[in-house]
Amino acid sequence: MIILTNNPDVQNMLTDRSVCFVEGSYRDVLVRARDMVHQGHRLLTHPLMGSLKPNETPYRSVGLSEEKGSLDFDSLQLIENAIETFDKFAAVTRPDRGSNTPERMLADFRLIDASLLKTALESAEQPPDFRR
Amino acid sequence: MKLELGIIKISDIQFAAESKVEGSTLYVNKDELKALIMEDETFASCELDIARPGESVRITPVKDVIEPRVKVSGEGGVFPGWMAKVKTVGSGRTNVLKGCAVVTTGKIVGFQEGIIDMCGEGAKYTPFSQLNNLVLCVEPVEGTLQHAYEKAVRIAGLKAATYLGKLAKDIEAEEVRTYETPSITEGIKLYPGLPRVGYVLMLQSQGLLHDTYVYGVDAKQSLTTMLYPTETMDGAIISGNCVSACDKNTTYHHLNNPVIEDLYARHGKDLNFVGVIITNENVYLADKERSSDWSAKLCEFLGLDGAIISQEGFGNPDTDLIMNCKKIEAKGVKTVIITDEYAGQDGASQSLADADVAANACVTGGNANTVIHLPKMDKVIGHIEYVDKIAGGWSGSLQEDGSIIAELQVITGATNEMGFNTFSAR
Repeated sequence: MIILTNNPDVQNMLTDRSVCFVEGSYRDVLVRARDMVHQGHRLLTHPLMGSLKPNETPYRSVGLSEEKGSLDFDSLQLIENAIETFDKFAAVTRPDRGSNTPERMLADFRLIDASLLKTALESAEQPPDFRR
Repeated sequence: MKLELGIIKISDIQFAAESKVEGSTLYVNKDELKALIMEDETFASCELDIARPGESVRITPVKDVIEPRVKVSGEGGVFPGWMAKVKTVGSGRTNVLKGCAVVTTGKIVGFQEGIIDMCGEGAKYTPFSQLNNLVLCVEPVEGTLQHAYEKAVRIAGLKAATYLGKLAKDIEAEEVRTYETPSITEGIKLYPGLPRVGYVLMLQSQGLLHDTYVYGVDAKQSLTTMLYPTETMDGAIISGNCVSACDKNTTYHHLNNPVIEDLYARHGKDLNFVGVIITNENVYLADKERSSDWSAKLCEFLGLDGAIISQEGFGNPDTDLIMNCKKIEAKGVKTVIITDEYAGQDGASQSLADADVAANACVTGGNANTVIHLPKMDKVIGHIEYVDKIAGGWSGSLQEDGSIIAELQVITGATNEMGFNTFSAR
């Protein structure tokens, strides 16, 4: 499984081979995932996992298939819907988010994202090696 | 399976030297209950407080709400897998302390959420403003990790509710409500002409702080399965979900599921309420495929004519909801879905993160983005500084005069997706 993430905790949690780190926003991760879907990868985890709203948490991790095939329309629909939902929430700005988010909250957001992804990896048939 | 609920009405809670139920008052020995909670070494402190309907009190951040119940007769005990052995529950008699609840609060994560106002504008949006609430504020010892703290608070709430429930074990209830579900074959013989209706209850199961437990089992690790509806009334399902206050199903909701209540009210009259199918909302897409396949398979297997599907949460679960709906409809079973909406503050945006033409009968719990203004309360139980940080709040949500401007999603239970709420267009 290829993991797209902008969450440093995920990068630290997993062996490097499965992580593709995105220097950017939650939305940037979704857009990169959409690019990969167009290249024939399939989504393996839900792009909106977690009940934290897209205008709350700045972190996002998405799992995609390593193998490529023909365009998977279910994946495409999921990722397009996710980007549309992201943009809907982004319309309501949260001034205490982004660069103003306190570190303790950022740490909690990273923890939730990494934990939910870890849950998904444990569900996967061949979970990658965990560093810890 | 047949369960009788003995309803013991509680109209007040008082701290007293002895814990007991007398008349309609619940007396609580604060020190005794505190000592019980503090047995868990996770906690550095425990405070108990009372919030009554109409009082100028705000409780925040709310983790769970739990109704005290006790098994009077029949197998097992309330909250199996947690407070009792895993024996199958849902039969015999259970006494219910109706009109009160245990509310747990604790700042588990930096964005912890959920407000219950006991009076004013906010009280209209949460059913828990109508209850006498015993509020449990527990703080962890330094260095406690979030998941350990969540688990400890979850168990502390169940412990407190069990402690209170036991006070009513020997009381003869004046009002008894009876719920009965026959076996499949008996049901067919009893109600040959009535449409067979099932309830697909979707459980939050995404992971840390997003979990639900069935007989002590983490729902994300379970295949879709079945319950007798009365099992839920004995606490077979408990909440470990801390995220998304307005549309999370608290343990109170699971004990008092309005879909089950309403289906029972019509059972044997104009429909045959066959049973409850429980399914999860995992983040791994293959799990979603498997779980929704199984929901549809069980609906077909039970020979249902119709199914009601309720979800819990936002985003990821919308996909499970639509997958369940599509696949169950494809089996020739008519569905009605229950959800809530994130349609923007003006209500003009697409409400769900997923959709399908098969989802052509939908009940909504309301738009969680609706902006509300909550007046200042004289007393706050918990941590008010979190209001700026909770879902639906923003920097400046907490006004200088102590009032709060925020989205409806800050209120615990406001847009509940079982339909257990007061937000309505009626």
